[in-house]
Amino acid sequence: MKARGDDAEQVVRRPLRVYGLIVFFYAVLLTWWVYFFAHLGEQLIERMEAGGTPLSDAQRVTLVDAGDEAMRMFVFEGGFLGLLVLLSVWLVMRSVQREVVLARQQRNFVSAVTHELRSPLASARLYIDSILMRRTDERKTDRYLRHARQDLERLGRMVEDILLTRRMAESGVDVEPEVADLDAQTRAELERLHDLHEERGVTIALESPGPLLARVDPIAYGQVLDNLVSNAAKYGGDGSTVEVELSADGVFVVLEVRDHGPGLQGADPLRLQEPFVRGGDEQVRTRPGVGLGLYIVRELVRAHGGDVSLEDGLPGGGTRARVTFPAAAGEEAAA
Amino acid sequence: MSGESLMVVEDEAHLAEVIADNLELEGWSVEVVGDGKQALERIRAAEPDLVLLDVMLPGMDGFTVCETLRGEGSRVPILFLTAKSGRDDRVRGLQLGGDDYLGKPFDLEELILRVRAILRRGEWERAPSPAGDALTLGDAVVDFATYTVTQGDRSVELTQKETMILRCLAEQPGAVVSRADIVERVWGYDVFPTLRTVDNFIVRLRRLLEPDPRNPRYIHTVRGTGYRLTP
Repeated sequence: MKARGDDAEQVVRRPLRVYGLIVFFYAVLLTWWVYFFAHLGEQLIERMEAGGTPLSDAQRVTLVDAGDEAMRMFVFEGGFLGLLVLLSVWLVMRSVQREVVLARQQRNFVSAVTHELRSPLASARLYIDSILMRRTDERKTDRYLRHARQDLERLGRMVEDILLTRRMAESGVDVEPEVADLDAQTRAELERLHDLHEERGVTIALESPGPLLARVDPIAYGQVLDNLVSNAAKYGGDGSTVEVELSADGVFVVLEVRDHGPGLQGADPLRLQEPFVRGGDEQVRTRPGVGLGLYIVRELVRAHGGDVSLEDGLPGGGTRARVTFPAAAGEEAAA
Repeated sequence: MSGESLMVVEDEAHLAEVIADNLELEGWSVEVVGDGKQALERIRAAEPDLVLLDVMLPGMDGFTVCETLRGEGSRVPILFLTAKSGRDDRVRGLQLGGDDYLGKPFDLEELILRVRAILRRGEWERAPSPAGDALTLGDAVVDFATYTVTQGDRSVELTQKETMILRCLAEQPGAVVSRADIVERVWGYDVFPTLRTVDNFIVRLRRLLEPDPRNPRYIHTVRGTGYRLTP
């Protein structure tokens, strides 16, 4: 895998060498021409005298001046052309550089996705193999089927995230905000999420001042809440509590999701919102995921005109994600 | 056959559970460890008969675990289980001293067959060789038990694979042993990406044992087939 990635970088670096050669060739040519024009007047005088044309001093001065003028004109035009060449080379190089970064991102993506997709696939397959080969009693069959189902759910979520990211990159983020009561929305969503995380003993606690109107796309809001709560449950660990809090802050409604996990451990909170970026600590690497959750949250929230921030170093430890949506006080909630 | 102790080093809880359950069902005793560093300590302490080792692990990656163990002279058989299945990763795992390599997802039956095959090879290695405990080639003496070559007062350590290749050849002196036979004996079936990999090992063995590696006197290449040892 690594070797192939390096090849990709080789391929995009090759044009750089070609452009280097072009610039070098141009520089040599320009120097030679400047030299030629600088001595044009003198050469003409020499040739005319050699051809037997006697020249007066005034004629000599005129010829030398004409040569100088030609050189000035040439240096000006040649310099301009040189600038154009340099500019186009710079533009090409910049795009090549971008290609290199893209190639590297692609490689990260492939390696993260390979691991993340293959692991649940492998365990689901072994669970099913074991049952098919009659290696399980009734109790174990139940347990294996439940676990295989969880593996498939994990796979399904990952595939959805990847497809959504792809759609976002291709056609932008498409949200249809409407006036909604985030308090009611959140309660309904959390009920569903509660069932999902119950098996691992994760409790979700909600703190809300009551009805809070905001302009949100209900489906997008559900996804944002799901991703943040799943992250918090993942890093908080089995048996932990995820704290969800709603509040009003001027023209925004604020949603905060907090866990009591290990925190960001030095990771840059802004970089974590980029696609396929995960915290660097090995402890974190062992948690499932490809690094798309926060990216999707950021894109959806920004499409609403809101913002995302992450914070750790809180008393009691853990990480707090804070997202804002435009408030819709005074408007009527959609039915 | 049964009763051997296996260690499963895998951080994915589901995968570790279902692998351990099935290996136990085969009659082996199984210990599960979910962290690379911890695995290293447990392997040193428990000396299992086989380690099933994931590559991407918290604490320390599987390649480093394998490399560290081999560096300490441990000969515990290692079967890599990993989601990385690029050819480079396979080769790397085997060159670091891994015995076999299984890419996720894999068949339950295949896993069990491979575990059996490795344990059987282990038995072959531990069993007394019909060729004796040592092989003498000129003034060099290869000790199958300590994996060393002694030439006069100079002594060089061989890797486990190098020793096993020599032993495989020495058990049939004068006969042609095909590359496929060597691979099957020493690594197990279809492990290597190419049979030519055996050649790399032979090159190093010749450098150690032959007075003139360009004109071998002991380890001969039989074109298109394999190798022949003439002590």
